Parts: sequence; C-alpha cells; structure tokens
Amino acid sequence: MRVLLVEDEPDLADALARALADEHFAVDVSRDGSDALFRALEVPYDAIVLDVMLPGRDGWQVLQAIRARGRRTPVLLLTARDAVADRVRGLDLGADDYVTKPFAVPELAARLRALGRRAAGHASPEITIGGVRVDLSGRRVFQNGTEVELTAREFAILALLAGAHGQVVSRSAIFDHLYNDESESFSNTIDVHVASLRRKLGPGLIHTRRGLGYLIDA
Amino acid sequence: MRESLRARLLLWYGGIITLVVALFAGVACYLGWRAEIADLDRTLRSRAVALAGALAPAGAGTFDLALPMRDEHAAVLPDHILWTSRGELIDRSSPGPDVQPPSVEGARTRGDVREYALRTQSGAWVVTILPLADARSEVWALAATVGGAGLAAIALAVAGGWWWVGRALAPVARISSTARAMSEGDFAARVPVDRVETELGQLARALNDAFDRLHASLERQRRFAADASHELRTPLTTISTEVQWALGRERPAAEYRGSLEICGRGIERMRAVVERLLTLARLDDGTQGGRTVPVRLDHLVAGVVADLRPLAVSRDIAIHVEAEPVDVAGDPDQLAEALTNVIVNGIQYNQPGGRVSIAVQRVGATARLVVEDTGLGIEADHLARVFEPFFRADQARSRDRGGAGLGLAVSRAVIVRHGGTIDCASTAGQGTTVTVALPC
Repeated sequence: MRVLLVEDEPDLADALARALADEHFAVDVSRDGSDALFRALEVPYDAIVLDVMLPGRDGWQVLQAIRARGRRTPVLLLTARDAVADRVRGLDLGADDYVTKPFAVPELAARLRALGRRAAGHASPEITIGGVRVDLSGRRVFQNGTEVELTAREFAILALLAGAHGQVVSRSAIFDHLYNDESESFSNTIDVHVASLRRKLGPGLIHTRRGLGYLIDA
Repeated sequence: MRESLRARLLLWYGGIITLVVALFAGVACYLGWRAEIADLDRTLRSRAVALAGALAPAGAGTFDLALPMRDEHAAVLPDHILWTSRGELIDRSSPGPDVQPPSVEGARTRGDVREYALRTQSGAWVVTILPLADARSEVWALAATVGGAGLAAIALAVAGGWWWVGRALAPVARISSTARAMSEGDFAARVPVDRVETELGQLARALNDAFDRLHASLERQRRFAADASHELRTPLTTISTEVQWALGRERPAAEYRGSLEICGRGIERMRAVVERLLTLARLDDGTQGGRTVPVRLDHLVAGVVADLRPLAVSRDIAIHVEAEPVDVAGDPDQLAEALTNVIVNGIQYNQPGGRVSIAVQRVGATARLVVEDTGLGIEADHLARVFEPFFRADQARSRDRGGAGLGLAVSRAVIVRHGGTIDCASTAGQGTTVTVALPC
C-alpha cells in the first residue's frame, strides 16, 4: 500500500515514515498543506495520514480541498486534541478515520490496512481466489491449505491483483501502489516479481494482458 | 421555588384582601343591625306612647284600658304588658311567666324580643314588645349580600393576582432553565431579554454578562489545555513512535543512536514546555511571587545580553545596548527570564545581518526598556495575540526554532506581577518593538 504521510514535525515525520515502512507501506512524506494537496491530487495513494495542525494550509483545509476535487482516497486524521468536536468536524469534512496522538504504530498500520481494504471493496481481511487464500492482515498466503512463502513485494502485487475483482491492473498502477517517490526501481521490476509469483503459485493464476497489464480471474 | 414564591405572594395578598372585605362586611352588618334596632325602638316607643294615652283611670290609683276600646281593638293592639303604679299587673297581650315591672324607662332586649318601657305621668308602666326575628333576618340577608359580593371580589382579585404574578415571574423560569442548561454544559445558553426595564430584565442582563465572562474564561482554559496537550503530545508521539520502531527488530548501532537522538530532542522539547507551563502557573498563582529586591535594570540587561551573544553570533545578528543606570524592585531571576524571552525573539525572528537594539532609560517614576529588532515583523491582526500562551504568528517558522509560543506569555506574566506593562508594536517586514515599563 502506498501512503502519503502529512506531518510538519520533522522528527515525528521521519520516525513515523520509518515505522510505517517497517509495516510494509510505501510512504511519501509531505511537510506542509500545499505540498500535501498537490501530491494527493497527483498520486493515486491508497491512504493519506493527515496531521490536522499544519503550517500554511491546515489539515482541515487540505481534506476539504481533496474532497472538493472529488478524490475518494481514504484519509486518516492525526490529531493531538481529543476534543469530540474536532473528531466530529474531521469525519464530517470527509475523513474516514482518526487517531489521537500518541498512538501505537501497529494500530495505525492496522487502521490504514482496513481503510485500504474498504476502499478496494472488501470488508474481510481475507481474499480467496482460484484456490489461493490471501490473508491481508497476517500477510500470509495459502494454496490448497499450504502456506506459500512470498517476499514483501510479491505479496503486495498478489494482494493488489487479488483485490482488483478480476480487473486488469496496469504495470504503472502496480508501480504507483508499491513504491514511494524515492524508489529507484523501474516498472519492469514488476515483471520480475510476477514471474516469481507464477513460479511459486503456478502459471494458471496470474494472466497477462499484453499492453494492458495483469489480472487474476475472479 | 417559583411556584412557592407565587403561592406565598398570593397567600399574603389574598389574606389582606379577605381581611379588608371581612372588616367592611362586619361594619356594614353592624350598622344594618343598629338601624334595624333603632327602627324597632321607634315603633315600640310610639306604640307605648299611644297605649299610655289610651289608658284611663279605672279607680283611685289604678288604671286600666277602657274595656270597650280593648275589646274593639284587641286584634290591632301591640304586644304589651301594663302595670299600675303600685306594681300590679293590669294587662298583658299574651300569657307568659310572671314579670316584675321595669325600673327604668327605655328600650332593652330580652331573649328573642325587644321591649320598650314607658312610665306614664300617673306612675303606671307600659311595656311594648316586638320580636327580634324580623330584624335578624333582615341583617342576615344583608350579611349574605355583602359576604357574597365580598367573596366574589376576593376570588376575582386572587385569580387576577395569580395570573399577573405568574406573568411577572415567567422570566424567572426562563432564567432558571438557562442557568440549568449552563450548568449542564451548554455554555452558549443565554437568557432571552425582552423587557429590559423591569428588575428581572436587569437581572437577566447581569446574568448574561456573567455567563459571557464565564464562557470566555472557560473557552480560554479549554484552548489553553488543548494547546498544552498538543505541545506535549507531539513530542510524546515522536518518542513513542521512535521507540516502537527501534524495538521492532535488531538494528545497527548507528540506527539506535539516531533513534536516541530523536528521543532526546523530543524530551528536551517536552521539558521546555513543561518548565514554562510551571513558570506560568506559579506566576498566575501569585502566592509564590518570588523575591523583591533592588535590581539594577541596566546590569540585568548586560547579563542577559552576554548570555545571548553566542546565539546572536550564530545567527549573524548584532546586539546594540544603550542603558542608563535604573533601579527597579523585583525578582532578578524572573526579570532576567522575561527579558531573555523578548530578546531571543528579536534574535530568532530576524534576518541574517540584522540588529537588535536595546535601550534602558528612566522616564519619571518609570523604567523604560525598549527592544527593537530589524526582523520579520508581525502581521497587524496577530499583534494583539502575541502575549497569549501558545500563540505563534507563524507556526512552521517558530517550530523549526523550537518555540512553543510560551516565551512572551511568561514575559508578560512576570512584568504584570512586577506592576509593569509590556506592549508590542510591529510593521510586517520591517521589525518589531517591544516596550516594557516598570515602576522604579
């Protein structure tokens, strides 16, 4: 999952970005509201973690602007105030969830995964497709009851394709969801990971649509 | 409360009216009774006189009614009793127990009858009698009329009073329901004031003013608590995130070192915020006022400036001091902190190559200290708020420089405790001037 982290406090932004990367998120960091809005409109993030107190354009304004442009990217608000009015305001402005500082990183990660799942149209943390069961929260994959060992990238690609409801997913879309701004990979590395997945899960699961991308039949 | 007030008002009011009506009715009935009796007495007297005139001597020393007349007029003769001058009963219109002749002339009441005693010139006694029943029933009828009218008047007055008092006290219900809403947490509740000229209208206005002040003060407290919590939670979150990350798995020593450095910075920020909050709380409390000793303001400024030189040098800011000897009374540590905060702002919100000028002079009975910088200035609409706790004219800028927006709040609290004033004037882009005046 690719996540935009909007936090003006440099130490916190740095710590949180590393912690989320450890939880297998591809994280971009934005330190002010205007930059955050620009990125949110340019990049198809799976979720946005938005601190409310920002210099310049504050979190509320960023959220409002994102929703005003019709973007449905899930937004999780980070707030240091636990006033009910603040939370209600955030949710009413179109936020999907909120977390009050300080928080436990695993909880934040779990909430982000849940937001990503719901945005993709699954309520359950498990997707079963063509004899393969993908456990999204445990990050494990089973084929006919046997666990299959996957790398983080392979898992991310499999989860993305399995969650696409039998739709074709383009290479660039896969790339956008897997890598953050600082990655130096190219989209042909996707082909390498897909080839590896086919080796592990059998050739019949992932289909290639030439010139369009990949899909898993529902 | 209101109902009982209304009931008590009405009870008093109704009681007094009832008393007045009863008194009036009593007097009316008494006068009526007196008139009836006077009427009776007049009748009795004229009858007695007529009877006495009709008496004829019936023998030596005796009198009797002329028998023919008696027989003729038996039906029209009034009730009477006649005695001779010797006290012998001559005649009585109706039988009854033995009675003695009266001793004095005049009217008197005997049981259910009124009688009138008249002594003729010959010494005989004539007593005429009339029953009191008619007079009594007349007076009862009068009492019934007056009492009925009185009761109607009382009922009307009490009902009208009940309605009027209820109307007059209706605002009390509004006031109490508003006060209740307020005490239940609806701080925006206000008493609707429609008729201000009444006493209750004035009360409502006074209450609304009190509610306004209470609301504003609660709002300030709430904002202060929210700001304080924000200033503490942000570094706390950094520390907790960093620790969770570091403990997530084995890492190289350099990464642990980086983590600890971040945690150290977070702790330092929290410590600075907590320390200033405590200073503010102590100053607001007023009980721990600190010392009061003579302080040479010019020496104090020189000391503060010496401490801040390295910071000024690192930012390429020149500090210029022009101080004449001035004595003030106060706590040198607190005053030094107040001055430090002001001068640090002048250094930090300045441009490289800029200047901070400090002037100390005595103007009458006032020590004036002016700190002028060539810095970034403050927008006019922010100027009024610079002394508020946690206020930052530009959050990003000041957070980079480690401030939590408490410095000037502490300075103001110190100066106010010392009986002085602190003011700020600024032109955006040109610089800021902070003027402190202390009594000396």
